[in-house]
Formats: sequence, C-alpha cells, structure tokens
Amino acid sequence: MDLQEYFNLVFTDYTLRTITIGTAILGAICGMLGSFAVLRKQSLLGDAISHASLPGIAIAFLITGTKDTNVLLLGALISGLIGAFWIRGIVKNTHLKTDTALGLILSVFFGFGMLLLTFIQKMPNANQSGLDKFLFGQAATLLIKDVWFMAIVTSICLAVLLLFWKEFKLLLFDADYAKTLGFNIKFIDALITSFIVLAIVLGLQTVGVVLMSAMLLAPAAAARQWTNSLSTMVVLAAIFGLLAGVVGTGISASQSNLSTGPVIVLVAAIFVMFSFIFSPSRGLLFRQIRFLKNRRDLKLHKTLSFMFDLVKTHENKSHPHAVQILNNFQGYTRGTLKKLEEEEYIKVQGKMWSMTEKGYQFSSNLYNQNIENE
Amino acid sequence: MSSAQIEIQLIASLVAIACAIPGVFLVLRKMALISDAISHSILPGLVIGFFITHDLNSPLLILMGALSGILTVVLVEYIQKTKLVKEDTAIGLVFPAMFSIGVLLIAKNANDVHLDVDAVLLGELAFAPFDRLIVNGIDIGPKSLWIIGTILLITLSLLVAFFKELKVSTFDAGLATSLGFSPIVIHYGLMSIASVTTVGAFDAVGAILVVALMIAPAATAYLLTNDLKIMLVFSVIFGVFSAISGYWLAHWLDASISGSMITMLGFVFFLVYLFAPNRGFISVLYRNKQQQKEVQLLTFLLHLNNHTEENERHINHLNEHINWHKIKAQSIVDLAEKNNMIVINNQIIALTPKGKIFTEKAIDYIITNDDSKIESMKKDFFLFRG
Repeated sequence: MDLQEYFNLVFTDYTLRTITIGTAILGAICGMLGSFAVLRKQSLLGDAISHASLPGIAIAFLITGTKDTNVLLLGALISGLIGAFWIRGIVKNTHLKTDTALGLILSVFFGFGMLLLTFIQKMPNANQSGLDKFLFGQAATLLIKDVWFMAIVTSICLAVLLLFWKEFKLLLFDADYAKTLGFNIKFIDALITSFIVLAIVLGLQTVGVVLMSAMLLAPAAAARQWTNSLSTMVVLAAIFGLLAGVVGTGISASQSNLSTGPVIVLVAAIFVMFSFIFSPSRGLLFRQIRFLKNRRDLKLHKTLSFMFDLVKTHENKSHPHAVQILNNFQGYTRGTLKKLEEEEYIKVQGKMWSMTEKGYQFSSNLYNQNIENE
Repeated sequence: MSSAQIEIQLIASLVAIACAIPGVFLVLRKMALISDAISHSILPGLVIGFFITHDLNSPLLILMGALSGILTVVLVEYIQKTKLVKEDTAIGLVFPAMFSIGVLLIAKNANDVHLDVDAVLLGELAFAPFDRLIVNGIDIGPKSLWIIGTILLITLSLLVAFFKELKVSTFDAGLATSLGFSPIVIHYGLMSIASVTTVGAFDAVGAILVVALMIAPAATAYLLTNDLKIMLVFSVIFGVFSAISGYWLAHWLDASISGSMITMLGFVFFLVYLFAPNRGFISVLYRNKQQQKEVQLLTFLLHLNNHTEENERHINHLNEHINWHKIKAQSIVDLAEKNNMIVINNQIIALTPKGKIFTEKAIDYIITNDDSKIESMKKDFFLFRG
C-alpha cells in the first residue's frame, strides 16, 4: 500500500479513519498531561499506574460480566487510583524509597491482574475472551463511540487545564510559594494525578498496559528539549503525541503484522531521539559544537596571551617576532595563527609576526581578566 | 505430589532465591526500577538470539538477552548523564522502546518464531518440567532447573566472594572508592548479575514475575530489619515461601502459577506493611499518636510550671486555659498522675518534685535546640508511655 492509497483510505475507510482519529486524540491528551508528569518527576508513576489498572479490568469483568469498554475502564481507573495512593502511602509511612514502592505496586498489581485474567479464562463463560487485548492494546478494536468518549474527556481535560492553568504552573515550579499564597495544594495535586491516571486509562485500549507509560513520557520529553516555557511545551507535546499517533497508525496499517501500540511508541521514541540530538539550545549536537568552539577559542586566547607576554617587554608594540618562538607552545598551530590574523589581532609577514593595536588591547584585557580570576 | 509438581516448586524456589539476592542490593541502592527496565528490554536480545540459533534453550539466547539488558542500563545512564531529562524519565523512555522493538520483531516473524508475547510476560512454569535435559541419553532433570541452578550458583559464589565490597559500595560509595574498590565495576557487575538472572528466570516465570521476585521480598525484608545479612536471609525466605504457597494457590484456582506467586508476594508484603514492628503502618500510626500525647503532656507540665496562681491550675479549668477538649484534658491528667509528675489537692494540680525536674530539663533542651534529647530522657522518667 503506497502513500497515496493510504491517504485515500484514511478519508474513505471507516475503520482506518476511526483508528487514526482515536490515536491522534490519545497522543494529544497524553502529550498534554504527560508534560506535567515529566516536570513533576512522576514519569514512572504512569508506568506503575498503567500496570496497576489491570486487576481493575479483571474485577470489573468478574462483577458485571460484560465487556463494555466503559465499565472495564472504570474498573481500571479505580484500581489505578488505589495503586497510586498506595504508592504514596508506602513512601509516606515507611522508609522504603519511591522506586521500590513503584516497582512493588507495579509488579504486584500486575501479577494479581494476570492471576485474575487466567482465572477468568478458565471460567465456563463464552464472553471472556479478548480481555487480554488490554495487555498490548488493539487499536483495531476502537469504535467511533470510544473515539467520541476520548474526545469528550480530552476537551474536559483541556477546559480544566485552562481554568486552573495558573495554579498548575505554580504547583509545578514552586509548590511552597503556592501554599503561602493560599492555594489548596492538595486539591490541585490530586487533580493533576487523577488526570494523569485518566489519560493512562484512556490509552489502555489502544496501546495497552505495558507500553502506556511511553505514550505519556515520550512526547513530553521530546517537547521539553525545544522550549523552556510551560505553555509552549504542553502545546508542542500535544502536537508530537498527535503526530506519533497518526504516523504510527499509518505505518502499522500499511504493513502486515505490525501492532499499532509498539509502532506508535517507536515513532514517539524517534521523535525523542531527534529532539535530543538536534534541539538548538539543549541538543547534544549543538552542545558538542559549542563545546568545540569554546575549546578552540580557549586555544586562541592561550596563544594570544603568550604573545602578549612577549610583546609587553618591548617598547614598540608592533615589533615583529619570529613565528619559530611559538613552536614549543602547546596552544599554537598554523590554524590559530591564521585565525588570529583574520581577527586582525596580529599581522603575519613571512616568518615574522607582529601584534596590532587591536590585538594588544584585547590581550591586555584578557591578561587583566586572568589576574582578576586568580 | 507428583514428581512434576515437586520439580515446579523446586524451580520456583530456586528462581525466588536467585532473584532475591540481587534484589536486595537493587532496593538498597535505590535502583529497583532498573530491574523493571531490564526485564522488559531483554526481549529484543532474546528474539535476535532466537533468530540466530532457532533454539529456545541455547545459551546464546541468555547471552544476547543479558547483553540487551546491560545495553539498556548503559543507555539509561547515558541519557541521565546528558541531563536532558530527569533520571526516571530516562528509564521510562528506554525500556518501552526496547520492548516495542522486541514485540514488533516477534510480530513480523510470527510464523517461524515459537515465541509468544504473553509467555514472555508471564512465562509458563507449568510446562517447565516437560523440557528435559538429556545427557548421553540419561534424563537428568528439567532444563530450566539446570539453567537457574547454575545462575544461582554463580550469584551465590560472587556474593560470598565480594560481600564486603558490595556492602561498602552500597552504603558508602565514597568510602568504597577511597578504599580502592571501583564502584563502576561493582555497579556493572551487579547489573550483569541482575540481567543474567532475569534472562534465566524469565523463561520459566516471565518478565513481570522476575521484577516482583526481585523487589517484593527485598522490600518486605527491609521493613523488618536494618542488617544486610538478615535482610538477605529474610528476602530469600519470603521469596521461597511465596513461590511454594503461590504454586498451591494456582493449583487450587487453576490459574497462572506466576500470577499467583506474585499475588502471594503482594499479600506477604501487605501483611508486613501493616504489622511490622517499628516500621509497619499500624505501629507508625500508634507511635505518632503516642508522641502526640507526650508532647501534649509536656505542654501541660510547662503550663503548670509557668503558673503559680491557683485558678490556672484548677482541674476544671484546664480546657479553658490550654484550649483542650474535656476528654483529652482528662486523659493527659491521668497520664501525668500515673507517672507521678503531678499531685491533685482539692482539684488544684501541682507538680511533684519529679515532675518539676522533668519539666525543667525539657525546657533546657528546648532552649538549647536539643529537642531530640527529650526522647531519650523520657525513658528515665516515664513509667507509662502515652
């Protein structure tokens, strides 16, 4: 299936259109709320919660006997919240650290969920198959009503986010200050955590329990590299998430045997990698370039200050010296000499160099700075 | 019990022991989540190893899996070092990506790979006894038993050989460096053991159970003791207990063995979390209450010490002066009286000499900002605690 064909299908094929819109919305809401998770250092909370929601799905099925997605997701929501608050309880009441609490709740809840799932599979009830789609998610099972549901939840989140924007921002960056201003921190904190849980639960059906945390983190981590402003970051993360959803769905639809969840996660991971390397202010590439440039400048200054030491012993500042003198000097190369000439700090004539007025001024300042620093 | 049942329980117990030992160090070093990351990210290594050998039991698989586990650790640490994102985000980014690669590799080659993603996550302990190791035509037991037994042996001998180094570098990395142990070597040694154990155990019990077996027994033991050796012993006991009881739970429910082992681990942790002496939820709650009451008692004694006038010390006016509820005031007065700190004459409360000494000492400590000493002083004065 080529690209042209794919685009035609997106607009004509009902299933593909539903899935594409669904993953796009999911990506957007995850990116939006994930920004808060990443900035609050709660990245792995998402992983723990998504695993912790599994027993909720199984129990909801055991109680109601239906496979109605909304009922199952409600179960997931409740058990995810229980997991989240138990983690908090462990960290608060014992000396176990956050990472242990997260890992413990994650694996224990998940194991319990798997116990229930295997138990359900043995039950004499024809209705039980398909619960395991929540493990890895199956975007193909998205129905238009699920998409509507996601859209509604997303718009509610967006509305609340805009309404409490100031409070959220304050809590993120200076919780103590927010407290002194009289904001109800506990409420805002619970609100953010609940929204994160909500986003995770929404994604379970599409990307599944195991990979959900990446959906939450990756767009936000990518967006973080491009900006230092919260609002820009949230918008960027939403866009990255949306793109990852759409592109991932596209790739998995155009190939056989590629499940949507992992492909979306990999696309998001590529975004992150790209951002890590190429972001202009924080990226590794430009950081390396800046590093090399600084090192070159340092070498230049070293040579220049050596020259200055020579020049200042002479009455005539522009008295020519032999290039040879520099040979034993570490910072000196033919390149630095050329560079210095280009900057008009020195003049080179044959095998002799002499310092210009500009060079003298510059290097005497350099010299003063050195002394001050010492 | 049939011999298959015994073998399953034996494998489960060995896996539990092999996981509990590195788990203790991971928990103490605050790297518990690394085990989660490793357990997910060995998948691509396993799949690639399988493509090369087409044999699920080849040692190359273990090697490849362990390598991809270590690769994850290296990647996570590299990303952390760049400071582009916070530490935990680095873990959360790397392992889903690795796991996705593994899942896609399996999915793309679903026809010729006998690897199932569900089995990867959960393992299938029930089938472990059917895969026998046959040497020279003689059946010497299930393969998983031999694999995990070997890994356990290596882990144990490394533990004994490097116990001192591990201990020092876990609790005081600076001291370890100055003594000449390289923390990096120990760190990567531990990571390698964790990876190898994960891969070896994974075939039998699945990725998630490995995480649970590493973290849960260690966390449970950590609630009970501060001694490294005792903690190691406790976590081994908890691991083995959950493995065997989990097996019988699964037998009874006819459900996944690994799932019920984790459930038992969670159950044991929950019990210890609630009832552990000193550190359990209930004893922490009780101690907080006790301390609250003792602080109130001190406030009350200070009040008595400050006021000589009788109306301030009248038993019926306490609630007005210190702003306490009647029942609370009564219980504090009772406590003070039981400890011989006060006497009540005609409903007027006065400090006894003992009460006076206690109060004055406490004031001294409070003035010199030595509040913590009050706690040890209480032992000398209190007959009954709050």
